Amino acid sequence: MTDWQNWRTAFLRQARSDWDAYQKTVEFEWPSCHRLHYLQMATEKLSKALLVAGDTKLENLTGTHAAFVNFIRIICNNRKLKNILGMKRSQQMAHFNQLLPLAHEIELLAPALAQNGPNPEYPWKDASGNVLAPTDHPFRLIQQLQKTRQGIQLLKHIDIFLKRFEELFM
Amino acid sequence: MSQNHNVVAAAESLIQEHFEQDPHLEKVIWIDPNQTKEIRLLEITPETFPAGAVLSFYFPPDEELPYAMKIAEIRPEEWQQILRNEIPLPDGWTLENYKTYSRETITV
Repeated sequence: MTDWQNWRTAFLRQARSDWDAYQKTVEFEWPSCHRLHYLQMATEKLSKALLVAGDTKLENLTGTHAAFVNFIRIICNNRKLKNILGMKRSQQMAHFNQLLPLAHEIELLAPALAQNGPNPEYPWKDASGNVLAPTDHPFRLIQQLQKTRQGIQLLKHIDIFLKRFEELFM
Repeated sequence: MSQNHNVVAAAESLIQEHFEQDPHLEKVIWIDPNQTKEIRLLEITPETFPAGAVLSFYFPPDEELPYAMKIAEIRPEEWQQILRNEIPLPDGWTLENYKTYSRETITV
């Protein structure tokens, strides 16, 4: 395998491992922060598996956590998805556009992007000066992902992208 | 029909489709149109988030489009930064040879 193929395989393996961990947190009802932490990591590494195959510079991959929103914006260019989703490209564009706000919220969970606000890893100070721990924060996002149509669809797509990566993206 | 003719027809058809389906798409830059195995596109749209880098995603060839695609969305100001060499292109991409398409000029 070439160097970029090794990187793609490694990003994919780690994304799948993070996704497995996310599934376990759901099963055992772990605190929302841990569930969201694994979800954010799985989506970031899934996106980076495709970026490394697209010639994106490695330093741009390791230096940023922002990749998942771009991935969702551009995924409709994958023609193999047409058969799986049963949608034309224009329909896919509309479909994935409505999932973008949730994708953006997942991306912003990375502490580096959370701007000293709520994130699933590190404590932060709120507007009233209280220092809060992620484990005590309710994270409305988890409800949005599990209870809304868009959230359920987005999680289902992530699952498909990871489980059928070789068929869809290689 | 030559390989190059085929890839030109495929790429321009693809670019036209993208303009038709995305009203916010301002320009498409086809990087290295002499490549006959893959199509590298920079799609310029104010709708995408600023990344400060060119995040190019890979899409494999299929029966309909037998060329791999590498596509990155960038904002208009990021394109200007690329032209000034302030944002580097992905590995192996250069501005030595590129074609610019706009909604007005695309003709297939």
